[in-house]
Amino acid sequence: MDIVVGAPVSRARHGTMRPDFVLVGSVTALAALGLLMIFSASIDSVTQLGIGSSPDAQRQLVFILIGAGVFTATSLLEERPMRLVAPITYLAVMVLLLLVLTPIGTEVRGAQRWLQLGSFQLQPSELAKPALILSLAALLGSDPDEQLPWRRIVQTIAVMLPLAALVAIQPDLGTTIVFLFIAPLLLFMAGASLRQLGGILLVGAAGLLVAMQAGLFAFKDYQIARLTAFLDPAADQLTLNYNQLQSKLTIGSGGLLGKGLFEGDQTNLSFVPHQTTDFIFTAVGEQLGFLGAAIVIGLFAVIVWRLLMIAATANSRFGRLYAAGAAGLVAFHVFVNIGMTVGMLPVTGLPLPFMSQGGSSFIAMMAVIGLAHSFRIHRSPVPGERRLL
Amino acid sequence: MRPGYRILALGVLFVALFSVLTLRLWYLQVTEAATLDQQAENQRVRLVTSPAPRGEIVDRNGVKLAGSRVSLSVVVDRELINEDAEDGVIQRLAGLLDMSAIEVRARFNEARAGSLGSISNDVDPGDALYLVDHSEDFPGVRVEAVAVRTYPEGELGAHVIGYIGRPSDQDLETPGVEGADLVGKFGVERSYDVWLRGTPGTTKYRVNAQSEILSVVGEEPPRAGGTVQTTTDSELQRVLEQALAEGLALARSSQEPWPGACISESPPEQCAIRASGVVIDPRDGSIIAMASVPSFDPSIFVGGLTQDEWSVLQSQGALNNFAIQGNYAPASTFKVVAYSLALEESIYPQAEEDTVPLQNHTDDYFCSGRLEFQFQDDSQQVFHDWTSAGHGNVDLHEALAASCDLYFWELALRVWRGRGDEFDEDALQRWAEQLGFGSATGIDLPFEQVGLVPDRDWFEATQRETPGRVRAEGTWSGGDVMNLIIGQGALTSTPLQLANAYAALVNGGTLWQPRVVSRVINADGETIFENPAKPLRKLGLNAATITLLRRDLSLAVNSGSGTARSAFADSRVRSLIGGKTGTAEVIKGDSNTEDVDTAWFVGVAPIDDPEFVVAIVVERGGSGGRIAAPTARKVLEKALGLEPGPLVAGEDAD
Repeated sequence: MDIVVGAPVSRARHGTMRPDFVLVGSVTALAALGLLMIFSASIDSVTQLGIGSSPDAQRQLVFILIGAGVFTATSLLEERPMRLVAPITYLAVMVLLLLVLTPIGTEVRGAQRWLQLGSFQLQPSELAKPALILSLAALLGSDPDEQLPWRRIVQTIAVMLPLAALVAIQPDLGTTIVFLFIAPLLLFMAGASLRQLGGILLVGAAGLLVAMQAGLFAFKDYQIARLTAFLDPAADQLTLNYNQLQSKLTIGSGGLLGKGLFEGDQTNLSFVPHQTTDFIFTAVGEQLGFLGAAIVIGLFAVIVWRLLMIAATANSRFGRLYAAGAAGLVAFHVFVNIGMTVGMLPVTGLPLPFMSQGGSSFIAMMAVIGLAHSFRIHRSPVPGERRLL
Repeated sequence: MRPGYRILALGVLFVALFSVLTLRLWYLQVTEAATLDQQAENQRVRLVTSPAPRGEIVDRNGVKLAGSRVSLSVVVDRELINEDAEDGVIQRLAGLLDMSAIEVRARFNEARAGSLGSISNDVDPGDALYLVDHSEDFPGVRVEAVAVRTYPEGELGAHVIGYIGRPSDQDLETPGVEGADLVGKFGVERSYDVWLRGTPGTTKYRVNAQSEILSVVGEEPPRAGGTVQTTTDSELQRVLEQALAEGLALARSSQEPWPGACISESPPEQCAIRASGVVIDPRDGSIIAMASVPSFDPSIFVGGLTQDEWSVLQSQGALNNFAIQGNYAPASTFKVVAYSLALEESIYPQAEEDTVPLQNHTDDYFCSGRLEFQFQDDSQQVFHDWTSAGHGNVDLHEALAASCDLYFWELALRVWRGRGDEFDEDALQRWAEQLGFGSATGIDLPFEQVGLVPDRDWFEATQRETPGRVRAEGTWSGGDVMNLIIGQGALTSTPLQLANAYAALVNGGTLWQPRVVSRVINADGETIFENPAKPLRKLGLNAATITLLRRDLSLAVNSGSGTARSAFADSRVRSLIGGKTGTAEVIKGDSNTEDVDTAWFVGVAPIDDPEFVVAIVVERGGSGGRIAAPTARKVLEKALGLEPGPLVAGEDAD
């Protein structure tokens, strides 16, 4: 494949920018649906209080607007400045993650994950997601060919591990697993051989064992409890596994076509804890049924597909790696989050992209796909690009 | 591998992951949707039950024997209280109701999920009003008007009415019985519990995840239990109880071992300890009155009995209905069994002088005071009649009226000697069983005892199980039949069995299944359960037998030689009355203790067309003629419309 770096930039600036309307449309649809679901999931308490609207939904609307701005801004970024800021974002996120662990950080339910900024709680681990993909894409994108030297692999791990470690300390098991998933994915995209990937897996497993033996890293009791509760859902229904049981009941009671918007009893009566955040998908499942849930999964599939298309048609190895990483990030979140709500996977606390309530997550996700989108916007229209696939 | 294929591989992986999610969603939302929806619905609905008022018990004339009064009760539904809020609620309740927090907490812990737990009964209306006005401080706590069981007539008919209490583990197996309910434990309260209990009301609430009530989904008000109507007559019941109490007192006042001992604080063992009796309508087996003294007031069980209170009642036997639970030797009252068999089968004793049996029931037999009995091994035993003077020449009729033991012993020997040839060895037992002895009468009261009719099979089986229990050694013999025929030995009967057998003999030959309840009525006065009179069997008696028996029972009361003559001597209605005395010798193992007899009397009135059969037993009361007959007299006079006076002891007679 011929990569012509930088050549078509000037034309893009002069009216040949081609936004991916399918991608933008899908994200907009999910964000709007997410807003509606947040509103529906908080409407009961709202009507009881006698307030005409939901503060949760209002805040999310602000985040959506900010996210739209972030998406636009990142879409307009060109590759060169992007590669230049990659190390800076990495260091900035590192500093924020360190700050979280100091007394400045805010602790909620035993996890220290947030920085209080006025009325807004910033969650640096969310920002670490685009930062990590950007940094790894920049690192691996600098190699000219598809051969991946072991040196690069070591460097990749070295870049990823500090972030993963800082997040694991908070603790935030879900995000840690995200990082442990993204790094090998990018190595695979960068041309790592199966032998190399196998080696990474072995070393990684051994490393985890050593770290646990040495006491550097340990699962918290509640993490183990969640994992074992998942393995035996019948046990302790009322306490530990209550959340997942309610989640399953709520989704299941939606049936094929759903109970209708604002008609979900489970949602209206607040039977699902954290429903506006990690368990927002249950509001979809109950009110809109299998049909609505399948449409949501379909919209995510479209987004992942568009991101993979950007990867496939990117003008640069950097762009290809970044877009593939973004696709992997979205797909992994969707699978782990929905898998959790339907009782297939343990509760790990990853938000559903674009839909879960939360500013950090939404804005970071918009940045992730905005940056990927920029590779399409600034791509030179190479004839026969589809040959790539 | 070219980059394009790596992207393709990634795409395939993502398609696979998303497909798995979609399949799982299909499973939850289509395959399992109904089940999960039902589960979800169930957790959004709370069912709270409220008890139904217990039905009333009234007598045949509608006199209320058991009812309910309204009391304000503070109840709690724990499911409607947040765990965090519970401590506060308990503290406030304790303050308001003058209870300790520990006590309130204990009541809370007793409250079962899904039903209301009682915190305090008979609450002051002012406190109740405060609770209602400040309901926000007492989530889950309500004031309920609850029905408390009352027994307006006190002890009257206690053993028939019975009592209620907390359900036993066995009671809890009955559908519809909850731990907090009160169920019938004894008497009609027990045997008609299912009718009296009614149907609890249920209220379905819609609740949110915090268990806060949002709305009432459905409400089914409790339906009161039915009114159970007994066959008893409270007026006669009252007189029966008075008569039994007086009879008991009469027995004690004049009783050995030394004068006055039996009316002291701690009477010796020989004293009369209890009396029981039953009045039955021989025309259909209805119980008109039934009592056992000492008795109890059923209302003491309503609030729960302490262990001590219970032990006292239990040691007195006050909680048992001896009219159906007492197994006594019926003594001479049992002679009517042999009497009727003799007439029906023409079995008559051998005269003493020769071995030729009497040919007719009017043939005379010389009833001396003693019967010398020659055993096969040449050993001799002398049997004494209850009166050593004897009765002179008697026929079957005079033998019954005067209760000549010898006549009946000879009758027993006649059967024994002719066994396997002229008669069945157990002809007497089979006839007794036909009359209802040895098996439950089937009365609609719990815990009925069945008595015992001994025969060779029973004797051998018992000796095999516990050698020496009946007798140290030997086999079933003619002596056993001699004991049996005068209602002694191993034979036992309850007063009800005895009364019922008499009823069958005097009513023309129908054995009825006794009943204390005739029907159950609902609030609209409709009969929802009918307990009709049930004939168990026809005895096929000859009309002559019935006529003669009635006449001879009358002679026992009215003739000069009748055993009950003195007891009825000055009764204005004695000509309408017939009866039979009985004095059961209680054989005690300890020879130093003087035997104390059990006094019996079974009376029938009016003797020509019987409407009442009365059986009276005074345990350790002495002779039937002296104690039991006057007791029965009082009841019979009342039944015949007189206002009887106090009891006067009769002369000692068997």
